[in-house]
Amino acid sequence: MSKSLLIKLGLLVLAFILIPALLMGFDKGYYYQIATIAAIFMLLAASLHLVTGVAGLLHLGHAALYGVGAYVAAILGANHGIGFTLGLPLAGLSAAAIAFLVALPTMRLMSIYFAVATLGIGQMLYLVFLNWVGLTNGPNGVMLFSGINLFGLEIDSDLGIYYVVAGVVAVSILVLNRLSHSYYGNALRSLREDDQCASAMGINVTVMKIQAFVISAFFAGIAGALWAYTTGYISPNDFHFSQSILILTMVVVGGLGSLPGVLIGALLLILLPEALRSVGDIRNIIVGVLMFSAILFLPKGLFGEVSALNFARRVLGQGWAAQKGEKGIGWK
Amino acid sequence: MTPILELDHLTRAFGGLKAVDDVTTQVNQGELFGLIGPNGAGKTTLFNLISGFTPPSSGEVRFKGEVITGLSAHKIAHKGMSRTFQNLRVFPNMTVFDNISVGALGMIGVGPMSSLFGGKARAKEISERSYEMLERVGLADHADDLAANLSYGKRKYLEIARALAMKPELLILDEPAAGMNDSETTELAQFITGLNKEGLTIMLVEHDMGLVMGICERLVVLASGRKIADDVPAVVRQDPGVLEAYLGGDEG
Repeated sequence: MSKSLLIKLGLLVLAFILIPALLMGFDKGYYYQIATIAAIFMLLAASLHLVTGVAGLLHLGHAALYGVGAYVAAILGANHGIGFTLGLPLAGLSAAAIAFLVALPTMRLMSIYFAVATLGIGQMLYLVFLNWVGLTNGPNGVMLFSGINLFGLEIDSDLGIYYVVAGVVAVSILVLNRLSHSYYGNALRSLREDDQCASAMGINVTVMKIQAFVISAFFAGIAGALWAYTTGYISPNDFHFSQSILILTMVVVGGLGSLPGVLIGALLLILLPEALRSVGDIRNIIVGVLMFSAILFLPKGLFGEVSALNFARRVLGQGWAAQKGEKGIGWK
Repeated sequence: MTPILELDHLTRAFGGLKAVDDVTTQVNQGELFGLIGPNGAGKTTLFNLISGFTPPSSGEVRFKGEVITGLSAHKIAHKGMSRTFQNLRVFPNMTVFDNISVGALGMIGVGPMSSLFGGKARAKEISERSYEMLERVGLADHADDLAANLSYGKRKYLEIARALAMKPELLILDEPAAGMNDSETTELAQFITGLNKEGLTIMLVEHDMGLVMGICERLVVLASGRKIADDVPAVVRQDPGVLEAYLGGDEG
């Protein structure tokens, strides 16, 4: 069996057999919660990775688009009886639609101005969640009792919910993996490196930036819907600016431009604070110090872009080789 | 001779300063054409007007008979014009191969949908074309290195390979020999002549007369934004206006 197949199988076994087995062994609702939250944040980090890590656009409003997905799913479920099967894609599409409207005027802005614009959009959406009481129920948030109904099958066990979340996140990450590890990913990287030069190569810079932004928002919306369906209750603070920064930190600590890196970063920043729960409030300081040292000593992240691309090309077999048996240098 | 590129009374003013002032000339199909002038003569501005980076104040640019004035840079690239940059603009944090692939993928076209569903044939075409150009400039051993880690001279060839991966009809090289020593310049001159012999039309923009005089069939000389000569090298070399511009003491 080839190494690449072995690793892929290993990851599948880990996500769909080993972790569920462990969760069943402990059988505590709390562990299931941590596992689903970790999976949701892995998707959030992976989606921000496409915009910020690969295309190089500093995006400070990701949590607000995540919030759009969550509110769409929760409101459709609570007020209109629209369940998971339709609610999930609608949540993603709504976040993508809002991102598209935001992107049209902002994509021509230069780096730092774009960052400030996304910060503003994030705050604006947050204030809508908080103050449009008629739609979002304001600071009281939205309760969603319906749970996950998958094509008529009611899924209410902790294990079942874990499987649904893990399944949706795994498929989404596969899509994001293909987008970042392909020539499309190379096109996005060229925008990050020098967008004027990329335009001289015939790349429509604005269109491509909008695409990356909208695709990323779609998956943030999906993550938001998963959050709404699994927690059953959402409130504006779940989508505050500080969450955007948390996701951005996962991307930077994990490695800008590195998909495996940001997944590790997300896991670390969700699991570490939980693992340190026993030491009390000092855990926040410990996490802070660890983040600080990670950036200081590993400025390219825990799993830098160069190693990540090599990993995708050589180990996972996504690379194109000039001759059979040679190492992959391009993309398949 | 059919012209591939025609400049018609092209002018670009920045405030009161006319960086390019009423330039009219043409580049013919298959020609190795030179554009020279002392520092600050307006070469790079003229170049940016042609490739769509700066809109002209007045005048017209025609490429293969079609007016391209005012088109954005990526559209002009798709018409078959490819350029390099004066101050070496490779993508530093991408590998040599990935750099070249951007030239190929810009023309062949990639999108999110094609990379998810059935884009195999395109990916193969991009890979093979990029590899061909990689070998052509002798960088196959460096395919995997980050562009930032290449020597200066190799980065120059990388930039040319990336431009060639676009399979252009007109290649514009902006000061390719800048920063090179004599033997490197000679090697580059041979490489450029070789490309031209295969039928590629090349426009060479240079500050230094040496390279251009040696290999170009026809030259335009710019000084203070104006065209002061347009002829074969042997005639341009004797032109009193050109000598004045170059030796008149305001160079630098």
